[in-house]
Amino acid sequence: MSSPGTSPATTPLKKLALHSTVTCAAQATDYGKCILATYTDIKKDACKEEFAKFGACLREAMKRRW
Amino acid sequence: MIERLLDIKRKFNSVLDLGSGPGHLSKMLEPYMTQKVVLLDSSEKLLKRDPDSEFEVEVERIHADEERLLEVVPKNSQEAILSCMSLHWVNDLPGILVQIKEALQPDGVFLGALLGGDTLFELRTSLQLAEAEREGGISPHVSPMTDSRDMSNLMGRAGFTLLTVDVDEVKVNYPSMWELMDDLRDMGESNAVVGRRHIIHRDTLTAAAAIYQAMHQNEDGSVPATFQVIYVIGWKPAPSQPKALERGTGQTNLKEVL
Repeated sequence: MSSPGTSPATTPLKKLALHSTVTCAAQATDYGKCILATYTDIKKDACKEEFAKFGACLREAMKRRW
Repeated sequence: MIERLLDIKRKFNSVLDLGSGPGHLSKMLEPYMTQKVVLLDSSEKLLKRDPDSEFEVEVERIHADEERLLEVVPKNSQEAILSCMSLHWVNDLPGILVQIKEALQPDGVFLGALLGGDTLFELRTSLQLAEAEREGGISPHVSPMTDSRDMSNLMGRAGFTLLTVDVDEVKVNYPSMWELMDDLRDMGESNAVVGRRHIIHRDTLTAAAAIYQAMHQNEDGSVPATFQVIYVIGWKPAPSQPKALERGTGQTNLKEVL
């Protein structure tokens, strides 16, 4: 099994995995905390702001837009 | 599974391994337990992957759909049927249990192990939360699974006697959700719900990974994945088996004993 950080990420999904857990870990944690605070009454876009930052970091790291 | 089989003090002439795959379980069978094993799986490639030389006992292979067991195996023909980690893939669980019972000889035994209960609840809930928050709706990404309670009811309903049902919980720690999903795919246990959405949006996936981390993280930063294995043992009724006495037929007064 390969874990992020130890082996070079090759496929796009592997890269996404690496960036979401390592490069953008801080933003991911913020988003996670927001969900943790609201998950008993989850609504669409409840954590939109936090995710926007997380997403922006990922798009930056992946060097592509989607 | 093998330990449970060892508890049965019998030597079989032949046992049927239902949903055997390449025969992971059957390779552990020793000549003093059974003379022969019959592997049955719906995937021909998987069934014939490993040569007979890897088995300790004589092997026969049947390529057939587990859910149509009685079309390939005659009624009242099997001494023992084993099924290890395949029944959670079956669509009609009550139906297959009845077929297993029918295929067994009287006093034949069925031993099964399947995933159920809270298996992968962390992944299931993380994906649900991510989809709800990002896209405003949810869709199934983890197959529906049976509970240990349901399992004993189903076994009883199918007509097995002397039931034993127990649950073993295994927690596996992963660095993150991504490695878990890799492993599940390699195990051949990816999402196979009919009519599922075939894609997960990249945003939803990363959101789920972040939620998984936030909600279930261990102290060392890894995340747990729960697997609950339900073990079942049931016997086909036979006149020779011990039975519960009629109500009110007790001869000893409990007062005297206690």
